[in-house]
Amino acid sequence: MNLEAVKPRRLAIGLSLALLFAVGFGLWLQARGRAGLSAMVAERSAIVSLNALTEIVERVGLEGDSLQGAVARYVELHDGVASARVIRFQGIRMMASTAPEDTGEQAAPRKMAREEKPLYDLGQSLRAAVETNVQEGRAFKTEIDLQKLPAGGVGLAGPVAEGDKIVGAVLIEAIPSVYQVGGASWLQALLVLVVPILLLFALVKVVGDRPLVLLLLAALLLLVAVFLHGILGLEALHEERMAAEAHISQELTLTARGLATILAQEGLTASPPLEPADWDVDRFRRPLGLVTESAVDEQAVAVREAGEGRSYINLMIPVTVAALVLLGFVGLGAAGRTGAALSRHRVAYFYVMPAMVAMILLVFFPFSYGILLSFTNSNVYNTDQPLSDIWIGVENFVDILTDFELVKTTEDGRVFNYQNFYWTLGFTIIWTVTNVAVGVSVGLFLALILNTKGLVLKPIYRVLLILPWAIPNYITALIWQGMFHSQFGVINQVIQMFGGEGLSWFDSPFTAFITVLSTNGWLSFPFMMVISLGALQSIPNDLYEAARVDGATRWQQFKTITLPSLKPALVPAVIISVIWTFNQFNVIYLVSGGEPGGSTEILITEAYKIAFEQYRYGYAAAYSVVIFIILLTYGIWQNRVTGASEGV
Amino acid sequence: MQTRRFAIVTGTLLIGLILVPLGALAQTELVVWHAYRGGEKAAFEKAVAEYNKAKGGSIKVSTLAVPYDAYADKITAAVPRGNGPDIFIYAQDRLGGWIEAGNTIEPLDFFLEDEITSRFLPTTMEAMTYQDTVYGLPLNYKVITQIYNKKLVSSPPKTSGELVANAQKMTDATVGKFGLAYAYNDFYYHAALMNAFGGGVFGADGKPTMNSAANVKALEYLMMWADEKKILPAEPSTALITSLFNEGKAGIVFSGPWFLGEIDAGVDFGLALLPTIDEAGSPMRPWMTVEGVYIGAPSQHKDEAYDFAKFLTDKPAGVIMAVEGRQTPANTAVYDDAKVAADPILQAFRKQVEVAVPMPNKAEMTMVWSPATTAMNVIIKKNATPKAAMEEAQKEVVQRIAALRK
Amino acid sequence: MKRSNITDEPAHLPIHVFLVIFTLLAIYPVLWVFTIAFSGGQSLAIADLPSDPTFLDRLRAILPWPEQVSLSNFKSVMTDQPFARWILNSAVVAAATTVLGVFLATTAGYAFSRFRFPGQRAGLMSFLVSQMFPGTLMLIPLYIIIVGWLGLGSTWIGLILVYATTSIPFCVWMLKGYFDTIPLELEESARIDGATPIQIFIKIILPLAKPAVAVTALFSFMTGWNEFILAATFMDEEVMYTAPVGLRFFVGGFSQQWGYFAAGSIIVSIPVVLLFLFLQKYLVSGLTAGAVKG
Repeated sequence: MNLEAVKPRRLAIGLSLALLFAVGFGLWLQARGRAGLSAMVAERSAIVSLNALTEIVERVGLEGDSLQGAVARYVELHDGVASARVIRFQGIRMMASTAPEDTGEQAAPRKMAREEKPLYDLGQSLRAAVETNVQEGRAFKTEIDLQKLPAGGVGLAGPVAEGDKIVGAVLIEAIPSVYQVGGASWLQALLVLVVPILLLFALVKVVGDRPLVLLLLAALLLLVAVFLHGILGLEALHEERMAAEAHISQELTLTARGLATILAQEGLTASPPLEPADWDVDRFRRPLGLVTESAVDEQAVAVREAGEGRSYINLMIPVTVAALVLLGFVGLGAAGRTGAALSRHRVAYFYVMPAMVAMILLVFFPFSYGILLSFTNSNVYNTDQPLSDIWIGVENFVDILTDFELVKTTEDGRVFNYQNFYWTLGFTIIWTVTNVAVGVSVGLFLALILNTKGLVLKPIYRVLLILPWAIPNYITALIWQGMFHSQFGVINQVIQMFGGEGLSWFDSPFTAFITVLSTNGWLSFPFMMVISLGALQSIPNDLYEAARVDGATRWQQFKTITLPSLKPALVPAVIISVIWTFNQFNVIYLVSGGEPGGSTEILITEAYKIAFEQYRYGYAAAYSVVIFIILLTYGIWQNRVTGASEGV
Repeated sequence: MQTRRFAIVTGTLLIGLILVPLGALAQTELVVWHAYRGGEKAAFEKAVAEYNKAKGGSIKVSTLAVPYDAYADKITAAVPRGNGPDIFIYAQDRLGGWIEAGNTIEPLDFFLEDEITSRFLPTTMEAMTYQDTVYGLPLNYKVITQIYNKKLVSSPPKTSGELVANAQKMTDATVGKFGLAYAYNDFYYHAALMNAFGGGVFGADGKPTMNSAANVKALEYLMMWADEKKILPAEPSTALITSLFNEGKAGIVFSGPWFLGEIDAGVDFGLALLPTIDEAGSPMRPWMTVEGVYIGAPSQHKDEAYDFAKFLTDKPAGVIMAVEGRQTPANTAVYDDAKVAADPILQAFRKQVEVAVPMPNKAEMTMVWSPATTAMNVIIKKNATPKAAMEEAQKEVVQRIAALRK
Repeated sequence: MKRSNITDEPAHLPIHVFLVIFTLLAIYPVLWVFTIAFSGGQSLAIADLPSDPTFLDRLRAILPWPEQVSLSNFKSVMTDQPFARWILNSAVVAAATTVLGVFLATTAGYAFSRFRFPGQRAGLMSFLVSQMFPGTLMLIPLYIIIVGWLGLGSTWIGLILVYATTSIPFCVWMLKGYFDTIPLELEESARIDGATPIQIFIKIILPLAKPAVAVTALFSFMTGWNEFILAATFMDEEVMYTAPVGLRFFVGGFSQQWGYFAAGSIIVSIPVVLLFLFLQKYLVSGLTAGAVKG
């Protein structure tokens, strides 16, 4: 930290930027809160209207003669509802409609027209949702559908029940009156932005040239400003919330009165009595329990507000931290230095840019999305929900890493749990280590032999031995799978030739491991061989001459000259090979497919199956992040131990 | 040769130049995806050509063959984002998953008329139905049935008692001869026994029932066949079953239409119904895999797509798919056609499907296979009793399903 | 086994014996593919075994020579589907991937080697680290980006972009190592003579780095030629499929047509093997010179 660079002017700029950032973000959040409040009121009013209409429809009955009349009267009474339609699933019929075009020949009740198919499908999906929720015993799928209409207004749909069954749906177009929520206090915001700066200058005069103290004071001013702004904003929001709830309570009263009128006009009994509070529900048709006709349940509202307040705080904390960092960055002069550096090295950045842009867009960005996904519960059922709704924090990681059930005891003995993360991890490590070991030893051995001086046919050997690497690996993986076929495969044929019994290679974990090891070993030795050959060829002969003159045996020459010279070439090759083998999807997937029972899965194939067979995208993403962290840790450790990247 | 080719090419170009503006006037283009190969593909394309001809240019259907391994992922990636086909053909096992994912398959209830639904086998319509809504028109079905070697088995057994008696006479494990050989370690094949005892994977309430008493009983019955009566080979891989049957070392095989292509020319085989299980009082009820024609939810031409789907599942197209494509269509009227009626293989599967049960199409079905296979392997290797193994499987399936519900 | 490269030579004969046996075993799978391809049939087995096979019968069944030689598999593969078109697609995509990959990797590698700038080590490490991302699970995000946002589904460009980017990290790492071995004096003197940086890069550095550039080209080509899942998902028209996608028709799902698969594999492998042979003299020096400072 370069404290000499701390100057009042820099601190002031830093503080203003940080304040703008943090307070600006807070303002944005609060504005979103207010907009959310307004939207909430609109949504709840619309849902109340929908439920009230559904109440009438259910009391009159879908078959009732007076359904059309009752619905029409309802729409008349309600300013907020522009039109309403009631459909019945059986026979695909439109039972009532106040849409202007549904008059005369097209008057309800009638069969639904082709253009109305989406309404019918929507109704059926709501029915399926209700049945699912009953079966699951919890609120799993939304039972009310809400869509913004292109021409303005909101379209809602809700199920109509007859006894236990859902037999139809009610669809309304609502144009809820916009509920005005008080705006932000600009004076407040201005004060919060300007006052700390003025205070800072005042403090500079008082404290004098003590950089550390000034820095800390600036940070303190920032924190206080953000805190105050937050408190005041949340207070104001609370006032608005209570007013909104009162508004909804009034709506309930009005709607109930209107309904009572209609019931009387239609000659229907008002028993069981209307329960307006039950109309105020969420999209899962669970009563919110916040308001009744006459009163607002302050405690219940407070509980919900506490939840929203907590999420405000959760978001503001990282923002404030970022603001503090920004303050430090600018205050300590780093910003200025970065700008200068960027301009000084612009040629270098220009050269690197194409590759960097491509990597960021097509590699880092998708992976960051994957990281985000790993903190959620994303699966096939909730892909349309925003990520913040399905956020579960580190729960996926906890589930993965704390699953210690490696061995399952059943009545008849103990069985390995092949789906367990640690089994798969262990297997992946064994897989990687053995493969790299096999590849390096075979490759190095071949290179040493091929490097014999004056060996004829050397080019031919080299060419043929590269073939396993040259041929696309998904082809060779399938070929090896064919060769291990228990009936017709060549391996078993050879075994049987010498009197043995052919093995069922994919029926036991150990033999299945042999199959994938052979395949990958075969695929990877050429790479090691080429690297070793290159390194061997560059060792000058004089070294060996000198050693021989000194009387060293061949083995000693190998240990003291050959091996150390090979290290700079082999070590990076081993690192790359470890990374490639750890994530070698094709061989495992195509040769053994993880058989038997998932025992030969490596982490990456397991993650693939979790995503595409179990539909658990968030969990699979967490798996990938764990894979990444393991490899990263290995890379860092390996780097430190061998200083490999220094050489490169 | 050269001039002839040249003439054909120029002629086609000229005709095309004239027809294209005419056709482009009011032509709807539909795209259909499938994973057919060889004979099935040829038959399918013939049916499509018939449709295009019948429509005389107002609707033109083009097909795209997709490699089977990439097919499901391609649908999952492309269709919901609007980049998929208007129609695609797939089995019912992924239906639930795609419906839950949303914006993939269009519900068809609105279009359906009684005369359309009545042309299909009711169980095939069931396979296309998810949460009481119909999402596709069934095209064909596949079930396993009894395939026997006429030289070794004079009259195929009708009950399990007959089966066991005959098989025991035939079986001589020392020379590798077996009375009955089928891939009983594959849960799909075992389902026939399981359903006979009234077992199943999901109950009526949609919850998994892997460890139900009926399932355990079915497995114990299977092990009785294998251990006590010893009529089954020890490690039944599909390759082994095929080679046993071809070498005349297996009297009876339970398998499906895919097996028929593997039978050597020299083997005189016949098809018969799967036997009735005396102890269960019910015939063996195999799972049926139903291929359906689905309409993509983002399609811009749903009415035309539905028209094509109706054609494909109608009798004329069905006869083409049956006779040339060797499929067994879900349309019952197809079996009255002279050529189809005279085909013993098609008729045999038609009779078998009467007692078949549609495989569940729930999204959770994909999570059942792995625990089920593990359980089967463990039971067959006698590392656990059926009860214990199915308890494990039940726990695993419940856990996986719960993970999707958090 | 004697291994040494000093003047008192080990006997060559045992070495040759070992090498011949090992090489035959190593290329046996390749020979097996040739046998199945030229056998005209679809079976995995080279020869059908009689019910009580003798040792000789079994030996015949593993010798890589078909019972009858026939070209029918090759004919079917090329005529039953537009295999030639698929190979052309693969060729275009792989060639363009090579050009783009070499361009991206050489520019970045040169910068990392010659310049010292803030974020250099971080940048280099990030390339290495990106190799650790499990790529198979990026299928859906990549689909959204390439087909959804950029609208490049069913085009060559979409695949080329992704493939070239995939090959960057390893190639940059390798190229940087190689550039590091080129002495700075060459550039200094050229600069004194008045050459611009770009001229120096193209006329002096690249020719000297031919081995490493060759290896980069080879890797980029292999990435573009051998990839399956992305090609199968991005391409919506049959004419746009690449060769690996076409090959998967033969062994996947319920079809096991090993004869067609083998014939197709040979056709698909030939270009990349030829390229390997053509560039193999550069392979050894290109991969290792950076590490072994000669």
